[in-house]
This record gives sequence, structure tokens and C-alpha cells, in this order.
Amino acid sequence: MTDLKFIGQNMRRKDGPDKVSGKAVYTQDVKLPGMLIGRVLRSPHPHARILRIDTSKAKALPGVKAVITHEDTIGVRHGFVETPRYPADQDVLAKDKVAHVGEEIAAVAAVDEITAQKALELIEVEYEILPAVFDAEEAMRPGAPAVRASHPKVLENLANIAGKTETEWGDVEAGFAQADYVREDRFENQLRTHGYLEPQVTLAHWESDKLNVWTSSMGTFIKRAKLSRTLGLPYSQVRIHKTYVGGTFGGKIDLYSHEYCAARLSMLTGRPVRITASREEIFSAYRHSQTLTIELKTGVKKDGTILAQRVRIINNAGAHRGSGVVVIFLAWGFIMGPYRIPNLKYEGYAVYTNHTTRAPQRGHGAPKVRFAIESQLDMIAEHLGIDPVTIRLRNARGPWEELPNKDNTHEAGLIDCIKEVAAKSDYLNKWRQGRKQPEPSSTIRRGIGMGVTTYMSGTLIYPNGSGVIVKLNDDGSVIVLTGALDVGQGAETVITQIVAEELSIGMNDIKLIASDTDTTPQDIGAWISGMTYVTGNATRQAATNAREKILKVASEEMDVPVEYLGVENKSVYNVLDPQQRMTYAQVFSASVAKHRGDTIVGEGFWRTMRDEPTHPSLATTKGRWTENYAFSAQVAEVEVDIETGEAKLIRAYTLHDCGFPVNPGLIKGQVDGQVSMALGQAFMEEVMTKNGYTLNPSWLDYRMPLIHNMAASEDAEVITEQYRIGKPYRTKEVGEGLVSGVLAGIANAIYDATGVRMTSAPFTPEKILAGLRKLEREKAKELVSQ
Amino acid sequence: MILFEFEHENPVLAEDAVARLHEIEAEARFMAGGTDLIPNMRIGIAKPAHVISLTRIPREPMTVGADGWLKIDALTTLSEIEHSALVTEAAPILAASAHTVAGNQIRQRATLGGNLCQETRCLYLNQQHDFQFVEPCYKRGGDCCYPFPRNKKEVCWSVYMSDIAPALMVWDADVTVLGSGGEVRMPVEALFTGDGLRPTTLNPGEMLRYVHMPPVKSHMGWGYHKSTVRGGLEFGIAVMALTLRLEDDLETCAEAKIAIGAVNEGPVKLVDTMSAMIGKKLTKAALAELADMASREINPLPHHGFSKPYLRDNIRVHLRRAMQIALARAQES
Repeated sequence: MTDLKFIGQNMRRKDGPDKVSGKAVYTQDVKLPGMLIGRVLRSPHPHARILRIDTSKAKALPGVKAVITHEDTIGVRHGFVETPRYPADQDVLAKDKVAHVGEEIAAVAAVDEITAQKALELIEVEYEILPAVFDAEEAMRPGAPAVRASHPKVLENLANIAGKTETEWGDVEAGFAQADYVREDRFENQLRTHGYLEPQVTLAHWESDKLNVWTSSMGTFIKRAKLSRTLGLPYSQVRIHKTYVGGTFGGKIDLYSHEYCAARLSMLTGRPVRITASREEIFSAYRHSQTLTIELKTGVKKDGTILAQRVRIINNAGAHRGSGVVVIFLAWGFIMGPYRIPNLKYEGYAVYTNHTTRAPQRGHGAPKVRFAIESQLDMIAEHLGIDPVTIRLRNARGPWEELPNKDNTHEAGLIDCIKEVAAKSDYLNKWRQGRKQPEPSSTIRRGIGMGVTTYMSGTLIYPNGSGVIVKLNDDGSVIVLTGALDVGQGAETVITQIVAEELSIGMNDIKLIASDTDTTPQDIGAWISGMTYVTGNATRQAATNAREKILKVASEEMDVPVEYLGVENKSVYNVLDPQQRMTYAQVFSASVAKHRGDTIVGEGFWRTMRDEPTHPSLATTKGRWTENYAFSAQVAEVEVDIETGEAKLIRAYTLHDCGFPVNPGLIKGQVDGQVSMALGQAFMEEVMTKNGYTLNPSWLDYRMPLIHNMAASEDAEVITEQYRIGKPYRTKEVGEGLVSGVLAGIANAIYDATGVRMTSAPFTPEKILAGLRKLEREKAKELVSQ
Repeated sequence: MILFEFEHENPVLAEDAVARLHEIEAEARFMAGGTDLIPNMRIGIAKPAHVISLTRIPREPMTVGADGWLKIDALTTLSEIEHSALVTEAAPILAASAHTVAGNQIRQRATLGGNLCQETRCLYLNQQHDFQFVEPCYKRGGDCCYPFPRNKKEVCWSVYMSDIAPALMVWDADVTVLGSGGEVRMPVEALFTGDGLRPTTLNPGEMLRYVHMPPVKSHMGWGYHKSTVRGGLEFGIAVMALTLRLEDDLETCAEAKIAIGAVNEGPVKLVDTMSAMIGKKLTKAALAELADMASREINPLPHHGFSKPYLRDNIRVHLRRAMQIALARAQES
């Protein structure tokens, strides 16, 4: 790695100057002449049949240019998942009924926002209120109000089942029978939103039989696919343009109704239409993360070795399947990844309720699953008299282990992560000291806790592949065409670094054209983790392909065999006689002159495990998933005020196995961002709802961490892979798995500090105080009985 | 975005502003910093046809009168107050409480008078009502209460969340109100109705003009705490303010004032706890007992997701700590 000039370096972000100078163009900044403002009419009821919609008064209002309802659509549904088992279940505008507060019923386009608002008020909708259900376990009971028909292939007598994932191996009952200690626990999580600061916003313009769209998203190609299908247009007639994106965290992946509405309204009016969601709409009607209830039974040997685990997860999926059936599949992966479980039975249910539809959120279930498992593992360790480090090392997967789905851990760095994070945090010396030797005059107790995680990257789902084109210009500079989208994670910077390294050309000589569906090759976008691996390897291949062409032409011109040629600073040179050289500009003109106009265009393509069929089964988990599992171990140190119950994260330590760090600064940014998301989840964030209505739809009442809530965050890599020029590499996920260990670590640290076990997030002062009181009562009882 | 049209005027004299408000027949509102009114107009709680801006009225500098009272123009921004050496010296509790309000940008605009005249808050109220909670509640002129469905008509259990009001109350501050009949000075407590529907006693056309802070007494100490989830940029879970004065023995309480904010329809003085405090030697144990008593005396409304028992717990601990600080200050002074 020592001879690498760009890879492994903290290169300045490509998007940095635009963003800090205010030049970056976000969707809201795109303005077109004659632009109309669109607004969406939403359901005021959690569950109701629509008997009648009358838009005539709205249409008659001066300044209103179009009003649409389901009647104006072609009736094609969409969904986060669209497979034979899980067909699309979302109408772009509600057809016969609404199943959550805020569900989209109609949309208007008008000359300004006030007129659009007045038009909404003039739309008459007659409803028949239906009984609604909000709790997932209630919704599952036979006879519960039917949000949607239960899945025909789930044969249990349960209502509202949107989907189920089920898998097992070994003999779980035999495992429990052999166990020296078995315990069962239940963990719950709050509803939490993504917190993207840029609202959902879309501008659509139908012009000359072509739909041009600017939309805040996590990938333009998915948006094109879903918009094209719901509008009945060929993909070639829809172009999604690139704009800068102000935060996503999982909340802007698949189609949203406002995107459809902006497009359809523009098609009907021939004018550009922009719809910007208000923050209230985003909180009360858009998609948040999933709340999982996790029932966990684990059997272990005396030494802490896990023998069997039975896990049942219930996901409150909301009014549509959304990603609810994905999270119950992924949860299994987050269970089986880090530790060896010889016998496992897993059942995950996604349950329809009259809440808003759900979306992935950074970690997509992993933080919740790991919070449960890591908490219970600490409880087991305490019962057995084992320390938290030892019990984790006893069960941690090592390198080259085959996983139950035939995936392989490859160069897994988990064991090193656990050891190093324990050493770095001085874990075993601090552990239990907070309670053992509290400062007598202080009400503050310090605690330390650990959590580990596995997260996958570059997984096998369609269309998780990427094409990249590297074009040489005749002055020797380079244009890169990529479908990857920079949502702040640094995609453009990393891609540029790879091209710079492979072609030995400065970062400023490389210009990226990104994520424009008409001009760039397809890419899945900035979700499901693994951009650096998938798009990065495609980029590397495209650059290699261009370099081979450059070297071939130079070899002919210089009369030097290719193996004696090197590249540096936009030039090819003879390694035996470095004075003999050709600039890329000279190579370019030679190629055009002597290779029939060849302008030197390199192509690269990548997807993981090229021989495996696409998709494991969401129902059974069968099938390969990825060859890139990232591992991590994290430690949290907290302070708890035992009088007030107020707790805070003081410091987080992260040891992760990211393969190798292409840009260490960007990785540090990812780590710190995830630490802050974890502490928000742990202590403050919660979307409060009552009967499907959202109580705190604002930044004031939904509390995200502020700058002064940030904790110190230290991190280090366990480097298990190398980057070699021209060779495929295996970078691993680092952008979403690292919420988990901190969240779990915080829960364990609170226990370490106070003896209070957190089984539901967030860990509020109220819950901590309740736990402390319970301990006092138990202590008093003990004293009495003695 | 404010989705209705309104007239906007900028008088340069306070008297003119008051006169204009009387002249205008349609609903008209004063606007100082606008940090409470504008969001309320955005979400439609306030829908004035006229907004009379007070921003061009020249602000009078703070002065200390011959009687030792500090006189502050109600249009003074919170930022000026928190950074004022005069306030920090003469009425430190005011500087401390002003500092806890919102964030720096808000405090640059928000005024002392505006903070006291702010609307009450409730999760159901403080949001745009496009598609949820559309039917207006009592506070919005309608016929229901979302958080407390069994509330009687005309009862609104929203909470008054000024961080400064409790501080002024325990400091025995006065306010001057300018109306069409001229200026009237009264104790700050007379400003609060304790009614969630109409939290202040100001009539339409009356303007809060000055706040007056009496001088510090000897052996006097103060304590102030605003409980929050994040330590800033939010309204309080509960706000606790107190002053106490010691006898010459520096142990016995001669005078005590305690006020709690953000948990009821107005700031609340804890009269029982206050009188129990007077004459007591303020030992650690006594303060703990008094704080227990205070947490029983206060009857907080569950608000913003915080339960009544938790609010009592929060107040008990943080008030006791604030008492300890006040005691230490009194002993040092």
C-alpha cells in the first residue's frame, strides 16, 4: 500500500467546495419558467373507505391548473419489494380506501402555494370510517380489523400478515436441552425517523414527450423504474437528473407518491410542477424506520458458548409492505452474522397496521437486533460469572468460516476488533468500577458496555450492479460516467480517487458525471451498502480498461513493450529509460490517428459473486447473499445521574473491519455520524403517535442530538484486505452497521453504571428511574427477609 | 410558509402602535421579535389580518433608578439581556433564564416582552393542521380537546413555557403595561391568568412596555434550572426558579420565593413550600424535605410526552439542587 498516491489518503471531498460555498444545487434550487406548485391531499383518518371524491370545486378555482385522483392514474401499483411472493401493494393515489393518516388521495397543481392550499380545501371526500389497529400484536390476532388480506402463504391463523421469514438449522430444542443456562427476554424499540434535513422535494417537467425529473433521492435509476412503470412510460422517456442531496439515511429509496403526482401533474399541464413536502407531512405521513419487537431465547454452556437460539421478531410494518418484509429477512442475517449459533430457529413477521408505511433506516434493523442480542449476552455472562469480553470472544466468528447460507466470512476481523476495542477502551479495568467504587459525594455513575455487529455489503439483489465509463479527453484529462449517487457519503470522492490511482492523474483533472439516468450507466444507488465495493470495482475496471488502451497505443508509438511502461502524472514512460515518455494528450491523438478514431473509452462493470443467481429467498433465507461481511466491535462509556435518571454518552470506541480504508477521513465521518445517530436513538429520538396520528411532527418536539450532545468518538480499522492497482478488491461496509454496537453498548453501559437493564429504547430518565426504584425495593425486601 | 394574507405596519412610537391596534377593527397583533407569532401564523394558530410590528420603536437603554430598580424596555432582545453586565450584576437570574431560551439566533430576535407574552403550547396545537387534528380544539376556537378528551368545554390544558416568567416572579419583578389609557405598573404575577386559553391578562391593544427588577437584598441567593432533554434549543420539561434571603446567622431562611414554569397553564408559585421554608434552618436534610414538599405541592400537567410522576421526580431533584445553589449564593453574598 505504500506506493499508493490517492487510495488510502484523506483526499478532499469533490463536493466539499460546492457545499461549503453554497454553490451546490439541490432539488429545491432548480427553478424552471412557468413552474407550478403542487400539493397533496392526505387522509385525515387512519382507516377509512373512500365513498366519493369530488374535485369539481377545486378544478374551478382560478389559478388551479390540474387536479388528480386515482382516476387519473393507470392503476399500476408499486412497492419497495415487487416479487411474485410479495407483489406491489401501494397505489400512487388511494383507490378505494386509506389505511394510514396522511395517505395520499389527490393532488393539485396551481400557480402558487396559497392557491394550491385553497384547492385542497375545496376537494370533497366522503369517508366511511373503518375500525383501525395500531399495535402489531393486536393486529395479528384473528378477528383484528383487516388492514389488508393476510399473506396467502402464511398458513397460521393470524391476521394482517404482510410477510414472514422463517428459517432454522440444527435442532434448537436439543440445543436448549443440552444447555447449562437458558434465558428468554423481550426487547422493544421506539419509532424513529431518518432526520434528513433536506425535505422530500420533486420537480417534474413534461416537455417534448419527455419527462424530466429532479428529486431528492438515494438513487436515480430506481426512481426512473418506478416512475416509468406507474406512469406507463418507457424508461427512455423518463430522465432523472442529478441534484445534490441533503441527507437520506434510508428514507428516500423507492417511489413516493409526491414524485408520481409532480410527474403526472406536469404531464397534464405541460408545465413544470414542484412539490415540496412540509416537515409536518414528512413526520406524519411519510415513512419512518421499523419498530421491532424481539423475543429472544438463548441457551449456553457454562463457559458461555452459545448452543441454541430461538428468535421471534414482530415488525409493525404499517399500512403497506414497504421494506417491512425486507427487515425481517435482514434481521436473520444480523442474528447469525457475528456469533456461531449451532442451532437456530428464526421467525420474523411483518404485520400490517394503520400506521404510516415504513422504510429502511441506516442499519435496517441491525441496531434493534444487536441491542437485543448484545444485551442478553451480557445478562448471560453476568449469570455465568464471565466478563463481557470473554463471552464475546468465545462465540465470535473467525476468518474463513462458512455461514449457514453458504456465504463465507473471508478475512473476518471480528476477533481482532473485540480484542482491540477492549484494549483501547481499557474495558476490563473500567468494567463494574462505576458501581463498585462510586465517588461518595457524586450522584454520577460511570459505566462501560460493548456491542458487536456484522453488516453486509454489495449484496445480491437486483439491480445491485454497476457500470462505469472512463473517457479520456484530448488534453489528457478524464470524464467519468457513473450512476452512483453522492448523498453525502463521499461516492464521488472515492470514485475519483480510484480513477486517479489507476490512471495516475490528479483529482482535479477528473470530472464526474453522476447519476443522470440518460447519460450514465446504471447503478443501484446509495443504499444497501457497498458502493465502494460494487461501483468502486466497476470504476477500477473502467480505469484499467482505459489504461490498457493508453498503454497499447503508447507501446506502439514508443516501440516499448507494455510491460516496460509505467504511468505517472498524465504520462506514459519507459521504466528502463524514464526520459522516454508520452503525455496522455499525445497518446490520445495517436489513438485517434492510428486506431480509426478510438477516443479511448474504458468500460467497467461489477456485481458481487458473479456466478450466483440473484436474490436469496426473503421467505426462507436460502441462497447466497454476499461475500463481504464487515465486522465491528464498539464500546460505549456513559454517565448516569442516579437521582435524575439522566444519562449521556461520554465516549465511543469503534473498531471495524472495513477491508481497507479508501478514504480514512470519509470513514471517520461515517463512524462519527453513526455514533451520533446511536446516541439519538438511545436517549432522545422518538416519533410519538396516538391512534396513528403523529404528536411531534417538528424538529422542536422530535429531538435529534445537537452539537453539544456529541460524544467523543475514537475509531480504528482492522485492515484485512489490500488494494493493488489493477486487481479486484474487497472493501467492506462502513456506512450503516456502526449504529448497532454503540446502541447496544450504551444499554450495557447503563446497566454497568446502575444495575438497571434497558429492554426498550429510548433509554429515558423515566425508565432509568423506574429501574433504580425497582432495585431499591428489591434491596429493601432482601434486607427484610434477612 | 404563511398561507394567508395580512397587512403589516411599522409604527415608530409605542403610543401609535397601541392607538393603531385600537383603530383597526379586524384582528390585529403586535409583533416584536416574531419568534412566537410567526411560527403560530405558519401553523394557523394565529391568523391576524393586521400585524403591527414593534421593531422600529426605538429601544430605551436599561437604567437603574434612584430606588435601585432596574428598568428594562420590554423590546430588549434576550441576547442583549443575557450579555448585559448590568443585568448580570443587578438581576442575575434574569440573565441566566434569558440564556436558556432557544438558541442564539432566536435570542438575537426574541424580546423580553415577547417571551412573557408567548402563547401556551401543546403537542396537538403546535403543528400544521392540514390533515391531522384538523377539527379545531378549544384553544383554536373549536369544540374538543385532543390530549384530554374529557376536558370540559373552555378548558385548555396547554402549558405556558416562558423560561423567564418564573425567574421574574421569584425576583418580585414589576411590569408596566401601556394601554390606551396610559401606563399601568403592576407585579409581574398579575400578568398571568393561569388559563390555557388566554395565558396573559393583557387586553387587545395593551402592550407590555417595561420590566422592572428590584435591587438585590443582602444575604439573598437565587437558583434557576431549566430541565431539557438535550440541554438546549428546546422548551423546558420543567423550569424551576427560586430566591431566598437568610437571617444574619446565614442558616435560617428569612424569605423565600419558588416558582415553577412549563408544567401548567401559567407559572406557579409554590406558596406552601415557600412558607414552610421561612424560619427553617436550611440544612441539607431540610432542603431535601422542602423539595419533596414542593414536588407534592406542584400539580404538573403531563405535557410533551412527560408523565405527571416523572415531572414531579424531575422537579424534586432539580429544585433541591437549585435550592442548594441559592443557599450557597446567599451565604456568600
